[in-house]
Amino acid sequence: MALSFLLWAPLFFALLGALLGRRMAPKVALFGSAVTLGMAIYYIADFDTGKAGLQHVTDTVWIAALGIHYKLGVDGLNLFLLTLTTLLWCVATLYAYFRSWDRPQLFFFFMGLAESAVLGAFLSQDLALFVAFFDLMLVPFYFLIGTWGGRKRVQATTKLVIYTLVGSLLMLAAAIATGVESVGNSGQISFALSDLVRVGLPVGTQEWIFLLFAAAFLVKMPAFPVHGWLPDGYRAMPIPVVAVFSAVLSKVAAYGFIRIVLPLFPQAAVHFQELLLLIALASILYGSIMAFTQTDLRLIVGFSSIAQLGFITLGIFALNPQGTQGALLQMVNHGLVTAALFFIIAVLAARAGGSEDVRDMGGLAFRAPVLAALFLIVALATLAMPGSSNFMGEFYILLGVFESKLVIACVAFTGVVLASVYMLRAYIGAMHNRVGAKVQSRELSLRDGIVVAPLVLVIVAIAVYPQLLLKRQQASAQAAVAQTALLTHQLALPRATAQTAPVLPQGGQTP
Amino acid sequence: MTVFGLSGPFIDWSALSPVVALLGGAVLVLLAGLLRGRAGRDFAVPFLTIAALGAFIGLTIWQFNRHTSIISGALRVDDLALVVNLILATAGIATVLLSARQSALRQAGHGEYHALLLSSITGMAVLAEAQNLVTVFLGIELLSIALYILCATEMRREQSLESGLKYLIIGSVGSATLLYGLALVYGATAATDFGAIARALQGSVVSDPLLLTGIGLIVVGLAFKNSVAPFHQWTPDVYQGAPTPITAFMATATKAAAFAIFLRLFDVAFIQAQEDWGPALAALATVTIVVGNVGALMQTSLKRLLAWSSVAQAGYLLAGVVVATRLGIQATVFYLAVYLAMNLAAFAVVLARERETDLGDDIDAFAGLGASRPLLAWPMTLAMLSLAGLPATAGFIGKFYLIDAAVDGGYTWLGIVIVIGSMISLGYYLRVLAVMWMRPTAAPAIAGGSTEVDAPAAERPRYGGIEVAFVAVLFGAATLFFGIIPSPLLNLADHAGRALLGLL
Amino acid sequence: MSPTTWAWICLALPLAGCLFNAFVGRHLPGERTAGWIGTLAIGLSFVAAVGAFVALMGHSPDDRTFTSTAWDYADSVGVNAKLTILIDPLSVYMMLVVSGVSALIHLYSCVYVWKDRGFVRYFAYLNFFVFSMLLLVMAGNFVPLIIGWAFVGAASYMLISFWFRRTTATRAGIKAFVINVIGDVGLVLGTYFIVFRGSGSLDFLDTFKHVQAAFPPNDSDLVAGCILLLVGAFAKSAQVPLHTWLPDAMEGPTPVSALIHAATMVTAGVYLIARMHPLFEDATAAADVGTVVGCATLVIAATIALSQTDIKRVIAYSTMSQIGYMIMAVSASAYAAGLFHLFTHAFFKALLFMAAGSIIGAMGGEQSLDKMGGFRRALPFTFACFLAGGLALSAFPLFSGYFSKDDILALIGGEGGWHWILYVLGYLGAFLTALYTFRMIFRAFLGPECKEARELRETGHIAHHEHPFNPETYEEEDTDVGFPGPGHYIAEQQWPMKVAMGTLAIGAIFGGLIQVPFVDDLVNVYLRPDFVNDPTYEKVINGPSDGLVIFGLILSAVIAIGGIALAYVIWVRRPSIAVAFRERFRPLYELSFHKWWFDELYDAVFVRPGATVGRWASNVFERVVIDGLVNGTVSVVRAGSSVVRGAQDGFLRVYAALLLLGLALVALWFLLQST
Repeated sequence: MALSFLLWAPLFFALLGALLGRRMAPKVALFGSAVTLGMAIYYIADFDTGKAGLQHVTDTVWIAALGIHYKLGVDGLNLFLLTLTTLLWCVATLYAYFRSWDRPQLFFFFMGLAESAVLGAFLSQDLALFVAFFDLMLVPFYFLIGTWGGRKRVQATTKLVIYTLVGSLLMLAAAIATGVESVGNSGQISFALSDLVRVGLPVGTQEWIFLLFAAAFLVKMPAFPVHGWLPDGYRAMPIPVVAVFSAVLSKVAAYGFIRIVLPLFPQAAVHFQELLLLIALASILYGSIMAFTQTDLRLIVGFSSIAQLGFITLGIFALNPQGTQGALLQMVNHGLVTAALFFIIAVLAARAGGSEDVRDMGGLAFRAPVLAALFLIVALATLAMPGSSNFMGEFYILLGVFESKLVIACVAFTGVVLASVYMLRAYIGAMHNRVGAKVQSRELSLRDGIVVAPLVLVIVAIAVYPQLLLKRQQASAQAAVAQTALLTHQLALPRATAQTAPVLPQGGQTP
Repeated sequence: MTVFGLSGPFIDWSALSPVVALLGGAVLVLLAGLLRGRAGRDFAVPFLTIAALGAFIGLTIWQFNRHTSIISGALRVDDLALVVNLILATAGIATVLLSARQSALRQAGHGEYHALLLSSITGMAVLAEAQNLVTVFLGIELLSIALYILCATEMRREQSLESGLKYLIIGSVGSATLLYGLALVYGATAATDFGAIARALQGSVVSDPLLLTGIGLIVVGLAFKNSVAPFHQWTPDVYQGAPTPITAFMATATKAAAFAIFLRLFDVAFIQAQEDWGPALAALATVTIVVGNVGALMQTSLKRLLAWSSVAQAGYLLAGVVVATRLGIQATVFYLAVYLAMNLAAFAVVLARERETDLGDDIDAFAGLGASRPLLAWPMTLAMLSLAGLPATAGFIGKFYLIDAAVDGGYTWLGIVIVIGSMISLGYYLRVLAVMWMRPTAAPAIAGGSTEVDAPAAERPRYGGIEVAFVAVLFGAATLFFGIIPSPLLNLADHAGRALLGLL
Repeated sequence: MSPTTWAWICLALPLAGCLFNAFVGRHLPGERTAGWIGTLAIGLSFVAAVGAFVALMGHSPDDRTFTSTAWDYADSVGVNAKLTILIDPLSVYMMLVVSGVSALIHLYSCVYVWKDRGFVRYFAYLNFFVFSMLLLVMAGNFVPLIIGWAFVGAASYMLISFWFRRTTATRAGIKAFVINVIGDVGLVLGTYFIVFRGSGSLDFLDTFKHVQAAFPPNDSDLVAGCILLLVGAFAKSAQVPLHTWLPDAMEGPTPVSALIHAATMVTAGVYLIARMHPLFEDATAAADVGTVVGCATLVIAATIALSQTDIKRVIAYSTMSQIGYMIMAVSASAYAAGLFHLFTHAFFKALLFMAAGSIIGAMGGEQSLDKMGGFRRALPFTFACFLAGGLALSAFPLFSGYFSKDDILALIGGEGGWHWILYVLGYLGAFLTALYTFRMIFRAFLGPECKEARELRETGHIAHHEHPFNPETYEEEDTDVGFPGPGHYIAEQQWPMKVAMGTLAIGAIFGGLIQVPFVDDLVNVYLRPDFVNDPTYEKVINGPSDGLVIFGLILSAVIAIGGIALAYVIWVRRPSIAVAFRERFRPLYELSFHKWWFDELYDAVFVRPGATVGRWASNVFERVVIDGLVNGTVSVVRAGSSVVRGAQDGFLRVYAALLLLGLALVALWFLLQST
């Protein structure tokens, strides 16, 4: 089955729904998202574990004059991110399905467009194509936030889009430079990643290009101190939008580091390793501290995401297989828990007189044991309690950092402790203590239940068997950091020697 | 051939035919304008104009892949010229469609209006084909004079007259500068033919002050025409004042022609002096990009906003000229075509709203357009996204191409300037989108700010007109189409790029 | 069946009980069904543990180590985390203690909370806790160990804030959880050092096998790793300085305090050190840290217990102090002794809590010793149990605590050297123990009868207040969630509590007889296979001379009796003495009463600064820097825009000026080129 189906299905169904009119639009969109999810799961089933290279490759020239290929492929790096994306969009669409929207065709059309764009970013194996999808992602979200958002939506969405595009456009320039600089002796320009990897850029070029890419990705994540768009943005977004946005879009950035930056600019990655690690560390600490001073639940989750993405960045720039594995695993975990948290916030707000402020809540648990249980599971997963898959993610990440930069790992551990503080604070504030003034405690309704429960089920499932992901990611993860791991002379772990023997992507140049 | 003993140069009529078609059309249209009766005026004239342009297109396509100099080197017919011709023709046809129902027609007379339009296009075509300093000036004057008048065709509206006058004054300053520059170059090289000039500059490093000053003055002169900062001030005023169809025409066609000659002059005649004028143009481009984009911020008049944006776009386009490579030419030509599509779409929507509301081209006229008139809102949206250079629109590919050319030509920093420019530009393009999609429909149009206060409300059309919507949708769709399948345009650009020899 | 099979069953049953109660518990017929199911699950789990024990004994002493792996949890890029259980005498020993005590406490709870609105939730939590604890003690791989470690923490959190509308309870819960997370972090980081700097395998047996080869003795990495493991152990076992959560944890229902915060979870640290003994043998520096901290804790806690008035807190501090003994013992390689004390302590401490629970029930939720008195005749059975527990705790001759505590001190003394200090401090602690234990008993059971006691004795009704209140803050209770108050039955009236307490009382009295000097040595013999390949252990076992042992037995008998007598004098004969003492040695009293100001210290060092930084970040930094980054740029662009548009005033003269300027500049540039 060609990946193009997976890529374009959401957009197709969205268009179809938009054409069929306001009554059909939600149904068609829901059906479409379900179909897409099905396809994504098929790719897991059909995945050849242990194969580092791409699978199901689609490769045709898109724009010959510019050497841009329409090249898609699946490997261990993006396999589960695809599943995550489709799953969350399915759930978000389901959530939206039960609510009435002004101009529904338009809403679901933009949702579909957004999903296709994100999938495109994950699937594309051509630098220019990636950049295109990366920028395209923002367009539907601009409308989704600005049209259906909450208070100060227009300012929020403008700020968000411009702020994040600033990074992306710089990346556009950097990407083009990459392509032009690596024309090499063939004289034929090509943006296909496989071709770019083959031609190593001179270190000097690598470094400024790296910085532009890093800017784009760090803004998108967001990382401290370029998270200025986050608070307004998150507060303004409608729930299903903020769920997918915070859960998936940030991952595209992190994924970009692994897919593009590490293989293409290994020397630069090594050169700026400390810088990125420190930024990540700052994000962890700052995000955590902010998270436990906020009272708006959305912001608590928002800032906690900054911290979590700090961990992911940390794992990536450990520049060794352990860190990468952890980062990949943690991307999926974080996506699941954040989305679940945002849906739960919606449920809580519905019981606290519409307020999303934790001070207006309290004592919800008693009449809503199921809600309390689900929330508790998600909260514990978020703070990466051992036994959750998030824990294994952080275990790998911190192990990776421990291997490369001991001190940073030790400091990062404080982030783990802080996480428990702010998550429990949020949980207790909402579910425990005395009942808030405007609170009407009641059990999770079915229509909310079928949105939250599946996510929690997946969270639990991965918690029981994270190996499901790790096994399939391993080969690609090792390949992705093979060069950087060599450059940093990171000896494989004592017992791991056999497994982590660095596999160079063929033609990949060694220092 | 010999007439009365005067021997003129040999003329290859087939190669000249497109221009001939235009001029002939102009004459016919002028005559048709004398027809009595609404039918004659409202339909025959525009139809003839379009027919003439159609012929122009047809002959152009017929001439495709010809590379020949005609009239003893006065003009050169090659793919660059022909591609530009196609752009001009498209702009022309769109303008004719937009102009129908304009009060300008009644006030200036249908025949005159369209004849002027055609002759202006002729001027542009000549300019695009010129490979001789003299024909350059000829073309410039031909297109400008016609435009001066067209700007003022809404005689009962002061702004229109003002814009015409301003354009005339500043335009003539520009022409004068250009002429002076041409003269100096001639003086320095003793040649008017581009090829000859190039040969004259061959070998030795260019350091003749006379020549360089000439080049400098030519740069300035052309900068006037395609509103490069700091010679752009006329643009917002003129664009805003002129009748919207003419604004659209100026924005798209003039730019195409002016950049065509820019390419010819600098990539053929002055190619040897590239390291002299390259940095200068790059600097001008930077200034233009910055000035244009910041100027456009917080504009409430859509036409002014688009004027400023056209300034900025001129800056982007210059990048293609600066590098003086085949890639540069291709990028420039491609972007010109894209620019045509997105601007026509935008102006068509502006025109439609001018007619539908009393708010004129004020941004408020677009409030809630997404809900009330999706058919207009979508083309506008696509145009804005494309101008901002977002993916899935032709604008993205265009910018990609330009930056590609810049980086390839060793002007990476210019590429980054372009990028920064687009960042700023988001500030005003997104604002338009926000007004259209995220604001409730404007209250019933309040008087004031109307562009046609004089015309009694009764006879003013309360609807944009089907042809306007058609133009909007057509070019909106084109913007999207070429954003996803750019290859056809890219082929044209490729042809154009190969037209100028002696480039990498 | 093989020991591992039994073990899996033993592990599965509590989980099954938990899930069953969680999903269908609320829909079961009968009001106590969920409780019975929970109890049954644990009871069967105990049976399975016994099965494992028997199966284990079926093998010869030198192959009593079995492992079994459920599935690969995370096996990739050099991390081999598998869900492996390690079944050997040590783990089975722990399984027996845990499941046994848990079964009894479940039984007790069936009565204690059966009027509580959270009845089903309570048993789901409790079963979950037992599952986690068993996972902890069975784990054969670092990751399952860490998981169990964290799960017990979570269970403890959930049960501490079981009455979750008490702000005191939720605050105590979050405190316990956070300190436990610190412990988890220590454990994980320790694992990194030990495994990924050395042995290279997360599997216990591999690690133990390779540790000598991987590290030279007292290698810095190994010591660091072991000390980090100790951090985990201290956090879990409430050792100084990570102990502050345990007293607050008394917010939980009393059976929970008995099970989690006395008998089982808090002893996990002891188990951890015993389990990791091959590492500590090579890292003697770390082991010494453990010894010292344990000793310090046992003294500090004992001093604090002397002056507390909340009956549960007194017992809590006594728990800390007793665990101090165990930690000291296992850190000093006296493994069997430490585990022996763990065993006896589980009995008598659980018993004490249960008895305290029945008093608290009788007091209608009141926990202050100041308000109690004269329950001797109102609650004879409870009194008997409390007395048994108290005597065992204060090491009264022939009671269980007597032999276990003395075993520890004898071995410590036997090691000689600076351990003599520990030896002395240990006996000092023993004296204080006797003192505070009987202070508690005398104040609660002797002396003038309080009105609750009288009401109970005369009418047989439990006193309860019009408005149930939170004994901590005296704020009115939220009756939605349930609380220990009206409807909470006390011992004498319900057989399950009697059975539970009675059984434990027997254990508390006779439990010590399994290892009596010169008589029998069961614990040692049974556990020897675990420590057999361990030179220092043998040395320690055979360290103390018979003379020292006998001296110790006599000494502790004297100390216990002396302490009890003194307590009798102070709190029964002449209460004035206590007051006088308090006045005379104010500073000492303050020190003890304010628990050595640990809470205040942490508040000043961590909590307040943290909050300040947080406020600063959100009010100042975020506004100024982060938003400034955006707004600054925007305003710069805006300024530029207004300049440009300012030049655009529509007058040709301005245009002309700019135009000439531009012209001049361009011309100038080109002229410069020519030179």
